[in-house]
Amino acid sequence: MRPTTPLLLITVLQGLSGGITLAIAAFSFLLPPASDSILRNALLLSFAIAVIGGISSFFHMHRPQAGKYILRRLKTSWLSREALTTGIYAMILGVVALGPLVLPVNSWWYWVGGVLASIAALAAMFVTAMLYATIPAMRSWHSPLTVLSMMAVGLSSGGYAMLALLGESHLAAAVHRLAIFMLLATIVVAGVKLLQWKLFRDARRSLNAATGTGMPRAPYRIIDTGTTRPPYHTQTQVWPDLPVSLRGGLEAVVVLTMVLLPLGVIVATLDGTGAGLLTVLGAISFLFGTFVERWLFFGDATHSSKVWFVDQEKVGSRVATNRPSPALVHRFRNM
Amino acid sequence: MQLTIITDLNKCVGCKSCQVSCKEHNTAGAFGPVPDNDPYRDPDGMWWNRIVGMETGEYPNAGVLYLPKACMHCYDAPCVPVCPTGASYKRQDNGVVLVDYDSCIGCQLCMWACPYGVREFDEEHGVVKKCTMCIDRLEDESLPDYERQPACVQSCPTHARTFGDLDDPESKVSQLVAQRQGFGLLPELGARPAVHYLPRRPAPVVIDEKDVLRVMEERY
Repeated sequence: MRPTTPLLLITVLQGLSGGITLAIAAFSFLLPPASDSILRNALLLSFAIAVIGGISSFFHMHRPQAGKYILRRLKTSWLSREALTTGIYAMILGVVALGPLVLPVNSWWYWVGGVLASIAALAAMFVTAMLYATIPAMRSWHSPLTVLSMMAVGLSSGGYAMLALLGESHLAAAVHRLAIFMLLATIVVAGVKLLQWKLFRDARRSLNAATGTGMPRAPYRIIDTGTTRPPYHTQTQVWPDLPVSLRGGLEAVVVLTMVLLPLGVIVATLDGTGAGLLTVLGAISFLFGTFVERWLFFGDATHSSKVWFVDQEKVGSRVATNRPSPALVHRFRNM
Repeated sequence: MQLTIITDLNKCVGCKSCQVSCKEHNTAGAFGPVPDNDPYRDPDGMWWNRIVGMETGEYPNAGVLYLPKACMHCYDAPCVPVCPTGASYKRQDNGVVLVDYDSCIGCQLCMWACPYGVREFDEEHGVVKKCTMCIDRLEDESLPDYERQPACVQSCPTHARTFGDLDDPESKVSQLVAQRQGFGLLPELGARPAVHYLPRRPAPVVIDEKDVLRVMEERY
């Protein structure tokens, strides 16, 4: 399908914000304590990112005046649920991030708010991933791998952002523990992405013109897609196939920026030489890779209706020839 | 009741008169329900009914197949439950799937959910549009009976399209589907389309009781 900027921003920034919030929760409850001021700054950053993601979601609606009806189908629509869970998450996060300006920090409301924000972040990320995974017609997305991938990428992007904040502050113990966690998370992300790209390839190969006729007399070749042509501007669920070189190149960029460079940063961090600027570069690299990965997620997805839009290569005639027919030559010779 | 259109692929010659009559009836132009910004120079605008042309088989047994493709008005329309505002809905009284433009936010999730790619996005109005099965004609009591059917059915020069109630076992569409092995597209995706196609093969000979009795009388 056609990737759009609002969709990229919503999904990437929501994952990043949720990831940062959950990393803060991990530091508050599980990992060695980091500095309070760093955690508070991280909360503000997470809230700011969530707000930018929320604003971009309005640009995804082409008729925002009907947005007031968006919670009507909570019972069946994952988009309704996404609007609800993301809204609740942003509200709780707003209270926890901005609350210290007027309320005492480290009191009960701060901790309860933090726990609720973490649960809401996890719920919002899960619901957003389910929105894509529960569409059977999107053959590339209809898989638990979509949920795994979006959650893993979101959590990791937040983890790298947190690592950058801590790396700048030179908190050695906290950085070391988070770096070990990010090493494992990056390996998981790499594994899930490889499996997901295989799924995308299988989906692309399993759909062809023969699938779309309901009849066995194969092979079929589309000769007229029905008064439409790439880039199919009124049919946004399909998009022309990406050129092989472009797809391969973008996948290489994802591997480089989301796996190899961040892993290098992690190794340097564990080695004790990589705190500070290097962790910031690691976070920027992972975030850039996340945008490319998400662009591929949308742009390379195969919709079931592709069977009627398929850009099959033209097969040359098996009977045409440049040589004149012997009968014709004989006729001309005898004229 | 489930209104439907059955297309006989033996009779469809790909003339696109159903495609054009759909656009003509539903009004094109920049501000019509089926809009075109530049219809004469760029005909690839919005169409609610598209005819897909295919080559079939291999030489020397090659042929051409035309597949008219519009909303399938599915029994379990996947576009309906995904709509967050309830703008996409299926009418209980006649099974037609419609879009309420006033509540549509233009998120296009229904376009991703539709397995057949028959929903179209109108950038000008910011809403998703689709075949209405000419519901305005069906419910217009001032029209004579023969006009109260979809424009594509009425305009078909070869009578390849038949309109009726698929839930009524006595209706012509039900009998055609039953006798001619009518099929729906992409059944594996579970949408249970109401629109059916009759496969390309010789029509089976229908033998009724009279024929049996006549043969019995002649031979025995």
